[in-house]
This record gives sequence, C-alpha cells and structure tokens, in this order.
Amino acid sequence: MSVASPSAPTRPTPPGPPAPGAHVRRKRRSSRSGGFVPYGLALPALFLLFALLGYPMVRMIVLSFQNMRLRELFNGLTPPWVGLDNYTRTLTDSVFWTVALRTTIFTVVSVALTVVIGLGVAMLMRRVAPSLRIAMIVVMMFVWAMPQLVATQIFRWLVDADFGVINYLLTLLGLDYESHSWFAEPLEGWSVITALVVWAGIPFIAITLNAGLTQVPKELLEAATVDGASPWQAFRNITLPILKQLIVIVTTLSVIWNFGLFTQPWVMRDGRPSSDYQTLATYAYSTAFKTNNYSLGSAISVITVILLAAVMVFYIRQMFKIGDVD
Amino acid sequence: MKRKIALAAALTATLLAAACGNDGSTSGTPDANASVDGKGKTLKVWLMVDAQSGWKNVVDQANERFTAATGAQVQIDYQQWGDHLAKVDATLAGSDVPDVMELGNTEMPKYVFNGAFHELDKAQYENSKDWLTGLSAPCEFEGKTWCVPYYAGARVLVYNTDLFTKAGVQPPKTYADVVAAAKALKQKNPGPKFSAFYAPGQHQYMGLAWAVSKGGTIAKQEGDKWVGTLSDPKVQEGLTNWKEITTFSSGDKTKNEQDQAAIFAQGQSGMMYGAGWEAGAAQEQPKDPNDPASEKVKTKVAGKVATVAMPEVPSFLGGSNVGITAKAQNPELAAQWIKIFTDSKSQELLIDKGALPNATSLLDKAAAKEGNEASAQAAKSSFFVPMAPKWAEVESANVIQQMLVSIATDKATVADATKKADDQINTILNS
Amino acid sequence: MAAVAPVVPVRKRRRRRPIDSDTVTVGRSGAGTLFANLAAIGFIVVMAFPVYWVLNTAFKPSNEILRFEPTFVPMSPTFDNFKSAFNAPFFQQDLLNSVIITLGAVAGAIVVGFLAALAIARFQFYGRKAIILIVLGVQMVPLVALLIPLYLMMQGLGRTKELPGVIIVYIVLILPYTVWTLRGFISGIPRELDEAALIDGCTRAQVFWRIILPLTGPGLVATSVYGFIQAWNEFIIINTFNDQAQQNLMAWLLQNQTQRGTFWGPLMAGSILTAIPVVIFFLIIQRNIATGLTAGAVKG
Repeated sequence: MSVASPSAPTRPTPPGPPAPGAHVRRKRRSSRSGGFVPYGLALPALFLLFALLGYPMVRMIVLSFQNMRLRELFNGLTPPWVGLDNYTRTLTDSVFWTVALRTTIFTVVSVALTVVIGLGVAMLMRRVAPSLRIAMIVVMMFVWAMPQLVATQIFRWLVDADFGVINYLLTLLGLDYESHSWFAEPLEGWSVITALVVWAGIPFIAITLNAGLTQVPKELLEAATVDGASPWQAFRNITLPILKQLIVIVTTLSVIWNFGLFTQPWVMRDGRPSSDYQTLATYAYSTAFKTNNYSLGSAISVITVILLAAVMVFYIRQMFKIGDVD
Repeated sequence: MKRKIALAAALTATLLAAACGNDGSTSGTPDANASVDGKGKTLKVWLMVDAQSGWKNVVDQANERFTAATGAQVQIDYQQWGDHLAKVDATLAGSDVPDVMELGNTEMPKYVFNGAFHELDKAQYENSKDWLTGLSAPCEFEGKTWCVPYYAGARVLVYNTDLFTKAGVQPPKTYADVVAAAKALKQKNPGPKFSAFYAPGQHQYMGLAWAVSKGGTIAKQEGDKWVGTLSDPKVQEGLTNWKEITTFSSGDKTKNEQDQAAIFAQGQSGMMYGAGWEAGAAQEQPKDPNDPASEKVKTKVAGKVATVAMPEVPSFLGGSNVGITAKAQNPELAAQWIKIFTDSKSQELLIDKGALPNATSLLDKAAAKEGNEASAQAAKSSFFVPMAPKWAEVESANVIQQMLVSIATDKATVADATKKADDQINTILNS
Repeated sequence: MAAVAPVVPVRKRRRRRPIDSDTVTVGRSGAGTLFANLAAIGFIVVMAFPVYWVLNTAFKPSNEILRFEPTFVPMSPTFDNFKSAFNAPFFQQDLLNSVIITLGAVAGAIVVGFLAALAIARFQFYGRKAIILIVLGVQMVPLVALLIPLYLMMQGLGRTKELPGVIIVYIVLILPYTVWTLRGFISGIPRELDEAALIDGCTRAQVFWRIILPLTGPGLVATSVYGFIQAWNEFIIINTFNDQAQQNLMAWLLQNQTQRGTFWGPLMAGSILTAIPVVIFFLIIQRNIATGLTAGAVKG
C-alpha cells in the first residue's frame, strides 16, 4: 500500500475501507458462473445500446465512406460510395488540424485547472470554519445544478460588450473596458469559455475529492506532523496516494466531457461560431448540418472518436483492469 | 461473423426502405381553389417565431378563414431561426413532414433545388404578377414556381433626431451627408460609449449592402460554375466605406445585429442601419416580451427616432416564403391555406405590424403607413444574394460574417479578407 | 492490507455527514486558518457571482436590464419576468415534459443499468470483457454525429413527436455511466455476504433483491444525479425530434433568443425556474451525493 511510502512514518495502517487495488488479491472467483443468468441480466442494457447506439453508429461509419448530400437525404436515395475520400479530405485539411489542436489544448488547460482548483477547494473545505464549509457546499450545489445552457447564457450576459457587468466593473476599476468585446481576440474568448467550463466543473470534482479526503486517516496526518513532515510532504506522501485513483477517474471523465465541448462555444457565439471558436464537436456538426455535408461530418466524428480513444487507451486499460478483476 | 451478416442485412433493409420511402410524387400542382372537404383533417404548418411574436393576429385570422372554407383545422408550430435548418433537414428526410413550411428567402433556393417542395400554380395566388423579385426569385426554378412570397423586410437608416438637432445636422440626402453627420455627432459627443453610427461587425446584410453599393456583385455565374466576386475593386471600394462607418461605432464589432435596437434605445447612438421595425423597437418595448399585446414601455429615445432610406446604398431585401413540402399529406389544403395567408387581406394586416408586403402593388399602401415610408422606399431599390442553389450554405458557414468581422477588427485588410471569402464561396458553391 | 476484515464501506460512509465530518488539524495555525477562511470567502464570492447576477437580472424590469450602467440590486423589483416566463407559450407544458422525461429516463437507466452492473460485478462469463469495453467505449461517441441516423430510425419506428421516444434515447445516453458506476458499488459489497446468504438457503434472486439492492441504495442515488443532470440538460436531440408541445425546458429556453434580440429578463427568470427542480433534488440527496460518488469511484 502506497501510504507507507518511504518518507512517511511507518505505522500500522488503521483499519478502514480497503485501499484501491487491495481487495483485488482476494480469491473469489469460485461459485460465480451463473449459466445464463448474467446474459439475462445484461440483455436489456445490451439490447438498448445496440439498437439505439449501435445502429446509428454503423450508419455513421457507413456514411463516412459515402457522399450524402441534401438530395439523397430528402429523397432517400443511396448515396454514392466514395471510399476514403472524406478521410483524406479531412486529414489533409489544415482547418481540421487547427480545430483538433485547439480542442486538445482547451481540454488540457480546462481539465488541469478544474482538477487543481477542485482539489484545492476540497482541501480548503476541511480547514475552514463549519459555517463557511456549509456555504461552500450550498454555493457549489447551486452551480452544479445550473443547466449547461443556462450557465452559458449567464456568462454570455456577464461578458456582453454593451450591457455586461464585467466590463462595467473593470471600467469602474479604471481599466479601459468600455464596450470591450470579449470575443474579438480568440484567446480572450476562449478564456471566457474556459472560465465557464471550469466554474461549472469545480463542484463535481471538489465535492467528490472532499468526500475522498474523508478516507485519509487523520491520525496518519497528525503523526506525520509530529514526525516533522511539512504539510507539503504530508500532502504528497499521504493524501495524494489515497486520492490518486479518484483523481484519475474525475480527470478522465472531465477529459471526455471537455473534449466533446459543444454547447458552450455554440451558444456563446449565437449558434454560429466563427472558425476561431470551433471545437471538434461543433466543427463536425457545422459540416454535417450547416453545409449539409453529412458524410464529411461523419468522417470528422469518426476521426474524433479515434483521437479520443488513442488518448484514452491508458484510461481504458486502467478501467478495464479494475472492471476485470473484481 | 453472424453478427456482421445480421448487421449488413439490417442496414441493407433500412437503406432499401429509405429508398422506397419517397418517389418524389410532384406530378401536377395542388389546386388552391378546389373544394376540399377537410373535416377531421389537420393541416400542419411551420412558421418562424416572428409570426408568433410580431403578428399572431395575421395567422389567427387566416386560420379562421381557412377553417371556415374547408372545415380543416390548422396546427401551427413556431420555429426558432438559430439552428432551424438542421431541424428542417432532419424533418424533411423523414416521412412525417409539415404540409406548409416557411423558410427565409436566402434559404429557399437550396431546398427548391433539392426537391423539398411542391410545384405551385402561380396564377392562383393573389398579386403573383407583382411579387417582389427578391422574394419570388428564390421560388423560381427551371421555369416553375415552388413557393409563395410571405413578407419582406428592407433596411433603412435609423437616426436619433434629438442628437441630430443638438449636433446641428440635417437628415442625410447623400452618402457624403451620412459620413459628415457621423463626424459631427462624434465631435459633439466624445463619451466612450457613444456611437455616431452603431455598426456591429456581424451585420452581414449591412456589409453586403455597402459591398454592392459601388456597382459590384457578390458572385456571378460563369457557365455552370459560380465565381465569388467580392475581391472585385468595386466591392472593395464599397467595403472600405463600410469599414469607415464601423470606426464610428464604439460597440462590440464581433456582435450581430440582434440587440442593436436595445443599444440604440440607450440614446448613445446617432445612427444605425436597421429594419423598419427596429426603429419602433428602439422606442417602445412590450412590457412582457413573450406577449406582444402587453402594455408598451417607452424607452429613453421614444419620439426621437426617425428613418430614411439609406442614400446611395441599396437595401438587401430580406423576407420569407412559404411552400408546400413535397411529402405533404394534404397538398391541396396546404395550397388553400397559403392562398389565404398571402392574400391582400392578410398582407394589409401585416403592413399594420410594420412588415413589408410581398408585392410591389401593395408597397404604396405600406408607404402610406406612418413609419413605413422609408423601408417601403428602400424596398424599391433593393438587391438580393446570388441565386446559387448553395448560397444558403455560404450563409450557414458564416463566410460573409467572418470576412466582415476580420475587416472591422483590423485582423485583415479589405483585399485579403475579400480574397479569402471568394475562395470559400467558390469552394462551397461549386462543391 | 488484504488481511483487514472486510467492512461495508458504503454503509459506513452513509452515516457520516459530509458537512460536519472531522476536520483535519494539520497545519492549523491561527494565520493559516484565517488565510483558509479568507480564501473560502473569496471562492464563495466568485462562484456565487453569476448565480447572484441571474437573480438580480430576473427581478429587474426590462428597461432596467438593458442599461449601459447595470444596477447591483433591482431598483424597482418586479415579478414580471417570472410571470412572463411562466405564462409564455408552452412553458408549463415543457416543464411538465421535462419532469416526466427526466424521471422516466433516470428510472429506466437505473433499472436496466443495475441489472447489467450485477452481471458484470458478480459473474464471470464469456463476453464480459466485451461488455465492459462497449460500456466504456460508447461514452466517447459524439452524440451530434448520430443525430440524423438516430432521428431517421426513431421516425421509422414512429417514436418522434412524443415523450417515450426521447425517454428511451436518454436512457441509452446515461446508461454507460450508470452501469459503470453501479458496478463499482456492487463490487464494494463483500461477496461473502452473498455466499453466506446462499448457504442460508436464499435463492440468487433473493440475494439480489434482499442484500445487494438495499446495500446499493446510496449508490443508486449518487448515480441518478448524473443521469438527472444529463436528461434535464439535453436539448439538441429533443429539439430535433419533437415539436413545441413535446419539448423540454432547455429547448424552451432557446426560444428566448430570437431575431428580435434576447429576452434577457424572461430568460433569466426562466433559467431560475428551470434550475429550481434540480437544486431541490440536489439538496434533498445532498448527503448521498458526495459519499456515493467516492464510494462508486474508489471502488471502481
């Protein structure tokens, strides 16, 4: 168990919930084959997944090898087969790579910010006065409960160039933000979008990690202090290892969500984001629905899934191991 | 392996089913004058939200007359402009489609071209001889008529009379007057929020109007190919003028025109380029925006707003058309409803609400209504976007807006921005 | 560690309230505490500001909303925006739809997901790995790409323009996460309990019903949070599938953004009305959320 790492004092670990991975070693494979029972149990879920996701997904893949335009769509004609054309077109298009790079950078930055701040807030919650802690939880519940669309509209309203309160406040502070457009410079516009995503993402991570922190034995932390460990050492060698798996999970979930970013830039830019505000998801959507290039849009989506899967191989393997052993 | 075969079979079956779904049965035109017993039937109509918020009474009276004539009921579904084409596409691909559908006049050609609408007998619709070309041209394809003009909108110069008086300027008669007025207003009002001419960068029909003001065109047809002509020197000259106007605007240059009436209402804008109704919206707003009939609240500039046709700049003629979908269940009922909905009686009620009618013969009536003179006049010298079937995709892809924003925010020169837009237009229109 | 007697972590944690859980005393100097409290206040202000601004906007009359100098409290507070939103066409219908759809989707996903989670967590069978892979993989597929094929399929089945069709799609949407998280909870329940019960003469069905299901309770609640948020927030699918009368509140909210400008007042008021059911739901299950999430995640 990693809690007992070199610099931390070696004491018997107090009994508590088994640490991640520890229960794996228990033998309990026996008496588990249930004949047809597991298939029966999994059947409804599998049926739904195959019927409602499997079929459209196959359609999407087939579509990406065809050239489906409006005429085929309206008249139910079988679109002509074009082989890998849509893929070569996408992969040789510099716009696509710009969008892919932008989406990746946004994902890395936003997830890093959300997780780091979320962890900080989770730790903060354990140090502040109880009344403040309750206030923090209540505020986070409100933010968490705020639907994405609503949150985006709010931020759009906050940073509105003409009526927005942010420009007004910054101007009061003596800065030149009169009628300032937050979306003229993509970097500023993306800062707003990132702020929105991080703001909305913090509660999930902070509350989850705060709950995870309750598993850190406080005797251990106290002992570490007594033994002269700095708070940072205590954090690195005791807290972090216990939270590690939880952090991996919330991080990967955030990566999946943020990589598929759609609503925020879409609504923020009035349903017609300019090329500076496209993400892979909005780009695929625009290609398919705005320029009626359904096949090209499908190809972009397929590539997006492959890109994400490549990044997520590590996570999938990790999850797979967990799911496989217990 | 078995699964693969099953999937392939399922897929083929669906593709076949889809292929047999529609045989494009557009033979003949639905008769708008036939006596149809519509009892127990419901006509499904998609209108844009403007009818709901702007002139619901026009819709109601048309429905009443229609039900009295045919016995059929009408079910109206109001659609949002934002992403409505995605929904239109998905719906038209299926089998359960509305009988009547409204589309913007710039959107129409794409759908007519792709066989989404029923052919119509033009002569059966009132005023069809005098339809405004900007509205009816998108309905014409291969010498046949596929939709009916519904209403139009033209854009005019809206100005604040109070600020004009204080700055000692007269309503402009020439383009030079407009620029001179802007300069005088700016000098008189140095505040950072003040816009002598409020001009949001994404206002594409403003930018395009200036673009064609010096005799240029947006795109032209060469053989069976379309060629973007925005980098033409005449267009560049017009856009350079537009760029000059935007320097008189202190607002967000990346915004679109949606809230310009609200901004004008603050009394901090000397002029703006807007639709006739925006001059009204700047002066008073319904207390409850969801209920247009609710009591009106006056703004700071109430009674201080006037309009005039923009001198030397033609107006883009916006508007909507209604058509019978190719897969309509009740094409004849649909034809009758459209006939009633677009007849002179309905059009006159529309004029009362500040919209422009669908025919030149009715424009004089519109001009007689106070506040409508300028836009009715502007409608007479109007231009329209290229009649390329894929022009709607140019709009959807934001080509024009991005060009304008990059010019307004100094990201690109007029020459570079127009060149880039031309390339994009060529790709989209010829793909 | 392996020798430690198994505990029932889910149970144990449920009794502990996250709000007043034991405070860590490490590094608790006076200055440190003061600093922490100040940081917490800063955090609260920043997080709450947008929420405050919604409330502030929602209670202002429209001419006070559209002003170059915003006011920080409504000068002439009014309920007009709430009335406007509430009486706007289709608001009440769509509110009801949202509730029905969300409850239906969450309940469906929990039932179906629980069964599948049982299979994965408690049985070793051929194809199990494939199922896990499917469950993990489908989360990555961008939904918008499936819009047209999904729409055509549902329309072919006659399931558009009605609520059940959307409910089924939403069930599928939240199913992968549900299965995965519940799997974690079920794995956290010691198998020895099952075995003991089986020895005592329970049937397998009784084991599921009497032992696993009650012990998974908090997990079910925690899992439903995610499903609730997803189903409540979705608008792209429902906006494409259904007409106004069968849409949800999110699709309704989009209506306030028209060519004639955004109706900020009713939009903000409508947003509050839209968020209230979620906030209530969250506050009710507040205790379970945090504990549930960790248990599910740590064990999975």
